[in-house]
Amino acid sequence: MGEHELLRVDGLSKRFGPTVALSDVSLTVGPGEGLAVVGENGAGKSTLMKIVAGAHRPDEGSMTLHGGPYAPHQPIDATEAGIVTVYQEPVFLPALSVTENLFAGREIRTRFGGIAWDRMREDARRLLERFGLDPEVGDREMQELTVAQQQLSLIARAFHHQADLLILDEPTSALSDVEADRLFTSVREWQADGGAVLYITHRLRELPEVCQRIAVLRDGALVGTHTISEPFEPTRRTIVEEMSRREHANGPATRAPAVVGHDDDEAASPIAPPSADGEVRLETEGLTRAGEFTDVSLTLRAGEVRGMYGLVGSGRTEFALTLYGERRPDVGDVRIGGESVSFKGPRDAKRHGLMYLPEDRGRDGLYGFLSVRANLSSAVLDRLRRFGPLLDFARERTIADGYIDELSIRTSAADANVMTLSGGSQQKVLLGRSLSVEPSILLLDEPTRGVDVGTKEEFYARIRELAADGLAVLVISSELNDLLAVADTVDVMRTGEIIRSVDVAEEGAAQTIVQIAIGADDVTDGESRQGGAAASEEVS
Amino acid sequence: MSTATSTSSRHTLGEAFVGRAEQIRRAAIFVLLGAQFLLFSLLLPNFLTAGNLQNIAVRAAPLAIVAAVMTLILLLGAIDVSVGSMLGVLAWVVGTLTVADLGVATVLAAVLLAGAAMGSVNGLIVGKGKVLPIVGTLGMLFVWRAVVYGLWDNSDVFAPPLLPVLTDRVAGIPVSLFVVAVVYAAVWYVLRFRPYGRHVYAVGNDAEAARLVGINVDRVIISTYALLGLAVAVASVFYMSRTGVVQAFTGEWFELGVIASVLIGGTRITGGRGSVIGTLGGVCFVATLENGIVLMGVPSLWNDFALGAMILIAVSADALISRRTAAKGAQG
Repeated sequence: MGEHELLRVDGLSKRFGPTVALSDVSLTVGPGEGLAVVGENGAGKSTLMKIVAGAHRPDEGSMTLHGGPYAPHQPIDATEAGIVTVYQEPVFLPALSVTENLFAGREIRTRFGGIAWDRMREDARRLLERFGLDPEVGDREMQELTVAQQQLSLIARAFHHQADLLILDEPTSALSDVEADRLFTSVREWQADGGAVLYITHRLRELPEVCQRIAVLRDGALVGTHTISEPFEPTRRTIVEEMSRREHANGPATRAPAVVGHDDDEAASPIAPPSADGEVRLETEGLTRAGEFTDVSLTLRAGEVRGMYGLVGSGRTEFALTLYGERRPDVGDVRIGGESVSFKGPRDAKRHGLMYLPEDRGRDGLYGFLSVRANLSSAVLDRLRRFGPLLDFARERTIADGYIDELSIRTSAADANVMTLSGGSQQKVLLGRSLSVEPSILLLDEPTRGVDVGTKEEFYARIRELAADGLAVLVISSELNDLLAVADTVDVMRTGEIIRSVDVAEEGAAQTIVQIAIGADDVTDGESRQGGAAASEEVS
Repeated sequence: MSTATSTSSRHTLGEAFVGRAEQIRRAAIFVLLGAQFLLFSLLLPNFLTAGNLQNIAVRAAPLAIVAAVMTLILLLGAIDVSVGSMLGVLAWVVGTLTVADLGVATVLAAVLLAGAAMGSVNGLIVGKGKVLPIVGTLGMLFVWRAVVYGLWDNSDVFAPPLLPVLTDRVAGIPVSLFVVAVVYAAVWYVLRFRPYGRHVYAVGNDAEAARLVGINVDRVIISTYALLGLAVAVASVFYMSRTGVVQAFTGEWFELGVIASVLIGGTRITGGRGSVIGTLGGVCFVATLENGIVLMGVPSLWNDFALGAMILIAVSADALISRRTAAKGAQG
């Protein structure tokens, strides 16, 4: 088999109903090579990946693996042929231990065919440690982990399978920068051993880390391939252009070239001036939940966008859930508009004008069986009554169509199923739904996970506009560059505490934030040093 | 994290760190069982006698054996409500073939084969046909019951015990108890140490995720239903050894006690969580309840009432515990 002949795909095409998802795509991946597949949402990246992974079957075209024919009927065929996939949305067995998740379907057996628990646990510890996770999490249930920990575990799992080809679909979307770096190191080691990678991402800047070649998809077709060379910048610009060029300008898909020129790695300058003089909307004082976060005090004003940054396990999400009434604080005070509140649940929070966009939109956010319109209107159904208990469909339509238009949600129709939308558009649906109740405070948890560059820009521009109209926004994100682009101030969390609030306009804000988050800042008081030690332990 | 560190050494079998809710769920049945024994011992003078306890053990054998395997079915997130009707059909097979004097080995082979085949039918309906388990097996409940009526054809089958040893005692301990012990030990071992057992948990956790990690979900489902059919076949041999008669309604409501035992034993109706040890506790509870109600001289319809109530309590207590712990957060 030749150097470029681990996997060859030839003329792959796939349609879903009237939509052409993939048309006549041909590619090769060689052993030890990293091939990036980039493109906007809907460009066909996921379809290509799923065909290779055996989750979809192509309408046309063929594949060869190691020079022989390769036509997987289901995911297990791909796994057995040596192709392992890590999906963007973590797919796992929630109530089983992390160890079991690592080995599910490939258990280590004793001579008698039983399960060798001791060896499995031992291997799991090593594997978890290699990916910077606490080896003790091996005994925890998978569902107790944060999304990032889950993602890292699943990647560890894929490595363990010692496949020939690893498909990584947006692997870093739930990871912080430090965690992503660790992933890259592992991928490079693996490539050095001859493993190939099919790498799907929106984050162009991370491509040189693990890829040698880049394939650009647009509207289902291959529009360019590039070899990565130093410096990467000119190639990157070409790719961005190829990704976003439009043959026919239809509807909201057209964007100003200025927006297109950016990608998420570019720390855009803050769009609006910090507005520190709005009325105080949300205030927490000494908010604490044992084992999650400690003594968190912050103030969120009308017209302000605050960022919250921190590593996995730093307590960000737990804090947000507590604000939203999903969990009760052990100690501390939450005040909304100066009035002390204690929410019994999300409905209470909603009544007080506080809305939360969850981290995992598939699981916690959208109604997967319902249409875009039904999802958009679902938060305000009680206001859409007519003739007593009947729903006023006309008004429902007006509301839904309004948001589809206003947020440029890309959907074939308002009554299309919401799951047919791209990740970015799904997120906009969630945003629209939150806005429909006219909140005064908005909490966004990882709002742009797996959202493409253009949509992300739009999304954050919209957030800035909302803030300019007086909304108070708290954005939790692992993507520092996003926070730098959207927020006025970033609160840096580490081991459950806000260590510092950094003004993004400050000189070298990015470095400061990262250093604080990983505990590399030079603090001298005893307590912080302790926290720093714990954090760096987590990192190493 | 520190709690995990201090407790993890106990879980050398690779079991996940067990949260408080899970501990409560697991302990509940044994607390319940203790209370029941205490109550019946105080109320019923004849309850705590060797004879009565032996009687419970012999009567409960079919229930115990089927409940052991039903645990696997519920762990899958599935259910099988047709086991009572299947018991009727298989008891008829045992009775008729025994009367025809075909020899113990032949009868056993025939009934086990028939049981596995009937179980496989349910497995195919659920696994391949993708019919909701409750709906598919409800259909089969009526189909098999109709078959029993057809076979019975207005004449009860009376048969001598196929294996009289099953109702015997060794050193005062009923033989059936040994068989039950072996079945539970085997199921426990399989669930903990065989890949198949772990795959049952995996499918019950998230069938799609299990499929994506390369577990043959359909095969796990079909083989578990086949195994349940086998268990019902074994149960029918026990049943016939004790009663010696097949009637049109043989096995009616049997499924109620089986499912109640598993649920009271702490296995989740939604699958993925539970243990066969809990089921054993559930079986003891259900069998003892039935016995106590008989001893009290209360009409036996109260037994069904109590079972139904127990299912409701078990399922809603479980939902309540899950919800409370979810609200409190996973860290516990």
